[in-house]
Amino acid sequence: MITLDLPVLKDLSIEIIKIALAAIAVLIFVLVFVLYVILKLRWVIARIQSRLGPNRVGPWGVLQTVADALKLLQKEDIIPTNADKWLFTLAPAFVFIPAYLVYAVIPFGKNMTCASLNIGVIYLSAISSLGVIGIIVAGWASNNKWSLLGAFRGASQLIAYELPVALAVCVPVLLAGSLSLNEIVAQQAGGILSWNLFKFSGWPMIPIAFLMLLIAGLAEINIAPFDLMEAESELVAGFNTEYSGMKFALFFLAEFAESFTLSAVLVTLFLGGYHAPIYALGGQLTGFWGSLVSAGWFVGKCWVLVLFILWIRSTLPRVRIDQLMNLSWKALLPAGLVNLILSGAYVAFWMPKK
Amino acid sequence: MKPGIFKDVVNSFVSVVKGLKVTLYNWSILRGPVTELYPEDKPKLPERYRGMPVLPVDPDTGRCRCIACGMCMRTCPEGIITVVLDKSDPKDRKPGEFTIDISRCMFCGLCIESCPVKCLVPSHNFELACRTREEMVYDLEALMRMGGEFPPKEIEAEEPEEKKLEEPDK
Repeated sequence: MITLDLPVLKDLSIEIIKIALAAIAVLIFVLVFVLYVILKLRWVIARIQSRLGPNRVGPWGVLQTVADALKLLQKEDIIPTNADKWLFTLAPAFVFIPAYLVYAVIPFGKNMTCASLNIGVIYLSAISSLGVIGIIVAGWASNNKWSLLGAFRGASQLIAYELPVALAVCVPVLLAGSLSLNEIVAQQAGGILSWNLFKFSGWPMIPIAFLMLLIAGLAEINIAPFDLMEAESELVAGFNTEYSGMKFALFFLAEFAESFTLSAVLVTLFLGGYHAPIYALGGQLTGFWGSLVSAGWFVGKCWVLVLFILWIRSTLPRVRIDQLMNLSWKALLPAGLVNLILSGAYVAFWMPKK
Repeated sequence: MKPGIFKDVVNSFVSVVKGLKVTLYNWSILRGPVTELYPEDKPKLPERYRGMPVLPVDPDTGRCRCIACGMCMRTCPEGIITVVLDKSDPKDRKPGEFTIDISRCMFCGLCIESCPVKCLVPSHNFELACRTREEMVYDLEALMRMGGEFPPKEIEAEEPEEKKLEEPDK
């Protein structure tokens, strides 16, 4: 007979409560972050086009995205007559859940990883490529040619860009000798010169891997200039043409949550994770304040990269589908392979042993 | 491998950086937004902006300078101006009735050009929205109220055209 006061169950329930608390904290972070990033995107694009951007709702328009979200919540939830109702309803969840699950392994700060997996990098690339299933399901279930075309484009784009992403991620993994994100970050401790990207004493081809991960990552999370699957000028709105209300909001949420994921991965692998650029600015702290300050550095670095992504997004025109494929298969893939082989040779023969 | 492929690769990166430079310049403080927040911030109108024609008051006599010759009425292509001479005092020519139906006005300015005493001047007023058609017919009192006052005479003698246009609607 099983009673609830078994010590194993007690530990398990405490563990479950801990996990739930961490999940809720991350969810709140994602929601707040996405609301602000959408607002920032509109401000940045407005300023680049010499406009003012949202400035009506709340002081300086800061509540604009909250108002938009509330509007989407109360809109009519339309399911097309010929759509596959189950898949149509599930597709936004298929897109959002992977985008949310990725946050489990990201080290936000000292002792601030939700799940410190020893194969964090594999988990990351596996989960982040699951999102496209939701996109294909959405395109298929909508029973609409534009949605389906967008979904097909998404699938081909994901297959094309998953390889360069993996090849680029392999380089810092090889240099660190570990698949754990925590371990990779821990090896970048110290000042700015021990971050992977700026470690000039180490392997000089790291910046190429950084650039490849940036380009291929932009393509993988489907934002401009690689947002072919929701190309308004060609496909109405791509895979989310038929979606409205809260389901559409979930797609939107996932898209912007992924842009934070990309910057978080770049920061973790190349820009020293949660370490301060100068050791004295928080590197010596431990305990609660150490976690808080390092999380601040992490989010700050991610924010710079997110701004860079918004800048690129509002600058470059959308590429054609053949250009997209050429870039991946003819440029990024060979460059990534060469980079990986050279890095492997460096690790095997010339890298000083630890 | 295509010849010149490395040049292409370098050029593509250079062009991306060039594009980013352009948008960064627009993004930066060097070039702010050009948006006018219209209802809060009124637009800066040019000095000789031709808004609604009005009849400013002459500060010396306390009424408009119109002599009711009817030139504006005859010139108006739309026929929206009505001037009736006030015949109460034969030695003093002044309008008894002066209406402009601004709803049909096309702001050509011919009435202002034809005025022999330059009493009809363009104002800076362009916010003429109202709820009924009748409200858009402005009579003498309304035109004088909207016109304000002419500037004092001695300044006017030097540059009559320029000075008259100084915010006659205030």
